Amino acid sequence: MSAPNPASSGLFINGQRETGQDVRVGNVTAALAVANIVKTSLGPVGLDKMLVDDIGDVLITNDGATILKSLEVEHPAARVLVDLAKLQDQEVGDGTTSVVIIASELLRRGNDLVKNGIHPTTIISGYRMALKAAVSYIKKEMVVNVSELGDEHLINAARTSMSSKIIGRETDFFSRLAVDAVKSVKMNATAADVAGYDAMGSGGHGGGERLAEEPTSASASAGGTTTGGGKKQRYKYPLSAIHILKAHGKSSMESNLIDGGFAINAMRAAQGMPTFVESSADGAHVKIAMLDMNLQRHRMGMGVQVIVKDPAEIENIKRREMDITKERIRKIIDTGARVVLTTKGVDDLCMKYFVEAGIICARRCNREDLKRLAKATGGRVVTTMADMEGNEAFDAECLGGCDSVREVRIGDGEMLYVYGCKGHGASTIVLRGANEYMLDEMDRALHDSLCVVKRMLESNTLVPGGGAAEAALSVYLDDYADTIETREQMVIQEYADALLVIPKTLAVNAAKDASELVARLRSVHAKGQHSQDPSDDGLKFMGLDLIEGTIRDNLAAGVVEPAISKIKSLRFATEAAITILRIDDRISLNK
Amino acid sequence: MASAATLLPPPSRPSNGETLQERSKGRDVRTSNIVAAKAVASAIRTSLGPRGMDKLMQLPSGEVLISNDGATILSRMNVLHPAAKMLVECSVSQDIEAGDGTTSVVVLAGALLDACSGLLAKGIHPAAIASSFYNAAEACVSALSSGSAVPVDMDDRESLINAVRTCLSSKVVSQDSDLLAPLAVDSVLGILGPDPGGATNVDLRDIRMVEQLGGTVDDTELVRGLVFDKGSTKTAGGPGKIENAKIALIQFCLSAPKTDMDNSVVVSDYAAMDRILRDERKYILNMCKKIKKCGANVVLIQKSILRDAYNELSLHFLAKMGILVVTDVERTDVEFVCRTLGCTPVPHVDSLSPEKLGSADHVGDVVLPGSGHKVVKFVGVANPGRTMTVLLRGSNNLVLAEANRSIHDAQCVVRSLVKERFLIAGGGAAETEASLRLRELSMETTGMDSHCFRAYADALEVIPYTLAENAGLKPIEIVTELRKAHAEGNVGAGIDVKDGCISDMYAKNVIQPLLVTTSAIKLATETVCMILKVDDLVVVA
Repeated sequence: MSAPNPASSGLFINGQRETGQDVRVGNVTAALAVANIVKTSLGPVGLDKMLVDDIGDVLITNDGATILKSLEVEHPAARVLVDLAKLQDQEVGDGTTSVVIIASELLRRGNDLVKNGIHPTTIISGYRMALKAAVSYIKKEMVVNVSELGDEHLINAARTSMSSKIIGRETDFFSRLAVDAVKSVKMNATAADVAGYDAMGSGGHGGGERLAEEPTSASASAGGTTTGGGKKQRYKYPLSAIHILKAHGKSSMESNLIDGGFAINAMRAAQGMPTFVESSADGAHVKIAMLDMNLQRHRMGMGVQVIVKDPAEIENIKRREMDITKERIRKIIDTGARVVLTTKGVDDLCMKYFVEAGIICARRCNREDLKRLAKATGGRVVTTMADMEGNEAFDAECLGGCDSVREVRIGDGEMLYVYGCKGHGASTIVLRGANEYMLDEMDRALHDSLCVVKRMLESNTLVPGGGAAEAALSVYLDDYADTIETREQMVIQEYADALLVIPKTLAVNAAKDASELVARLRSVHAKGQHSQDPSDDGLKFMGLDLIEGTIRDNLAAGVVEPAISKIKSLRFATEAAITILRIDDRISLNK
Repeated sequence: MASAATLLPPPSRPSNGETLQERSKGRDVRTSNIVAAKAVASAIRTSLGPRGMDKLMQLPSGEVLISNDGATILSRMNVLHPAAKMLVECSVSQDIEAGDGTTSVVVLAGALLDACSGLLAKGIHPAAIASSFYNAAEACVSALSSGSAVPVDMDDRESLINAVRTCLSSKVVSQDSDLLAPLAVDSVLGILGPDPGGATNVDLRDIRMVEQLGGTVDDTELVRGLVFDKGSTKTAGGPGKIENAKIALIQFCLSAPKTDMDNSVVVSDYAAMDRILRDERKYILNMCKKIKKCGANVVLIQKSILRDAYNELSLHFLAKMGILVVTDVERTDVEFVCRTLGCTPVPHVDSLSPEKLGSADHVGDVVLPGSGHKVVKFVGVANPGRTMTVLLRGSNNLVLAEANRSIHDAQCVVRSLVKERFLIAGGGAAETEASLRLRELSMETTGMDSHCFRAYADALEVIPYTLAENAGLKPIEIVTELRKAHAEGNVGAGIDVKDGCISDMYAKNVIQPLLVTTSAIKLATETVCMILKVDDLVVVA
């Protein structure tokens, strides 16, 4: 038998190479280091991180994905975890910290198993088995189907997600705000969406996951996948229609939702313009023109030279340059537009035409905002005025409609509020807060909650939070492991233990006795799962009460999460752990 | 096994050309080459087989690569030693020839080199070893082709899928093989056309892989049509989907003509300014009208470096005409696009004509779940060329890139079967069988051949040995058991990695193309022989 000598000596490469256990230990250590950073920010009593970058910009946050994104992680295995948090953020929006913590715990235990002589491939297959069992258990036992989602369920879920965040003090207020905001952008799902959903429903497991995709695009044709309840009319809730504006000043409790309104961060271009326009008495809407073109003095393109022989021509040419723009403005005004917004500049000389016509004009608006406004008001962003005859004209169809537009002074800046948009739904949340860091953090927290509410509305299923699901899974997997006769048994047991890291960390962060609380939690769940008595069925919803340091029924207490988010985070965490465990060789090449 | 360093003292008996008498220089060079090449083999042997591990590579650019594919790892590894480079190239040529088995070929070469150092230590002349090895390789190939290979029909989709599944089992994406194996088979069968039996080779470039980040690997789909990796251009509004599309691929620019470098348009009169503006609009409008007139409602615009291929004005006109626009079609993609859609590229606006258009039932933007990115999809192409598009999804770039490589390998497996329509048992069965046949042959021959055949036969067992080792099984036990099963005539016996025992590979559907195994044996032997024959290393600075 001629097995090659395993020693890797003599491999001449321009770089370093590590193999076997060294790599695994290195990878796991790096991943644990990353997880330890975010560990203390888990849960309602988790603490925040202050990140200062090299130019001195400060970021204070509690959001796992944001923390990890801002770190410049070099180690490739640690980067897998950073990507994991990013993925969870994109696909679910919430639970970014817990997914990283679970993945790192799985890695740590996997590494210990390898040290005890279990082959990594066994660990990988064991993890896969455990994941499969866990997911089917959540679906079968833990999920509470909410046939008709009452507001209280939504508010509870939003509250659970934001309880760990900076706005945790004012959960009542903000959870209401989040729920109202998401509901205000309810849209009928198009046939394509519904078809897509049906296909997924029959596609079983993998399909169910796709439910949660976010229709980030504003495309009406295939804007993502969502559903209302059962076979009834289905709805979708495009979060992109919710515009979050941050204005510092006042307290966070003075944040508000403008239902059916849209605020744009722009001010009138000239003082002479009105601050308020509204629908006329005969019911005609205020028309808004949204332009993506320059209303400055027209300049000839490259390769065109202006050479004049007669000095008098200079004046003519100058005037003509002005007039070209003037004629355009005239055409816009003639269509009856009362508000003109452009992404580019407006010449001061042209201002007077708007002022004379009593039109609100704002320049240098954000293009993305304008696009959303166009959707909200049922108009179109106009890039050029050319018509099909090669002349210039402004098409009145491009105008959007609304009830009124008002310039409002918020903090020390002005904003244009567009009320009663006539297109698709749109809402704006104006956040107020003491300083910018706080506003940014509020924005992130609210984003998480909006995602959660949206998922709930779309999937209609929820699971209890506060470590209840993890504890139940841990007990269940322990029992499941005993039914496995192969080496995977040990691995599944470790997986079961690894899940307990969530309740443990929650308790530790809340300065409670983690060992005792978790032990009690487990025993309650074990009793619930093993008992034949139907009255014990409710025990599976028992989770931690981190304020009192006891155990309670978290479903009743309103600590709930969307089921899809739990399933996805388990799946992502396991996949990430497997990716890292599969590596047994690390080669870094030199430049 | 004795190493080359403990070479026997030069024999004093007269040389008959089969024993080695040489300077110490040649010996040292050979030893160093063998050691370097073996190091390469041992570096990737842990990634062999379904339970093989992955390699993490950090490239000089900081990019990270996680892979299990031998050719990919080696080609990126930047080995310095010239002999080691030969092994890397051997893996690359296996990739080109068969597409799969790139790890096996290197592991096999490493084992053969190990055998060589033993033979050299006995004082056997390298040339004699080389010629015997050639004979041995030939004997193996003929034994495999005549003995255990099973013919396969290209219509037998089930067998093809099983072969592909064997190939995918060792990859990161193995858990998705239920989806990816049929996908790879269908994609290759799709470009073979209606008569798959008649083809002797396929060009995998006819399958376009479109990578899109987001979602998971099981969202990957095969599109009989075309997918562009970005959405349609809608800066000026315009439709996002078109039914009964007539597609024009234009190579001219929809923008105002530009003057040459040294020339310029001179305006000396204010009225001329208006004229310029109006003429520009007219000029572009005219082109757009011509496009509309010939019946096109989808326009693909080739990328241009000379001047803007399109501008806001032309997009605006096209949008008004209800024409869907896809911009920045790469020059290199034009041929593929044309063949897929059955259209002819139009170099000038005047050469537009209805017969140059391609047609499809449905063209439209599709929002990909997960990332929210948009792609343009063309489905229901009227007279499609033999092309396929695979829309790959993955949750991160590492997975995506590895999935792409894995699907390519899988497609190569199908291609190997098109080239040579025989399947053979996997899981080390083929190598064990070849080793057994060779050992029998060595009993019937005499002289140097007999001796080298035996060493070669031993070396072949490295594949089952490594498979067992990577799977956490006891290699010696498994390999001897395997040998016994084959000696009893059980041709299909191989290692069942999942259950950790020996079972019939044909029954377990662990099968692979004959070409992969034979090409690995041939290539490994040739590389080893070449390394053997080198006795001097001259560095020319």
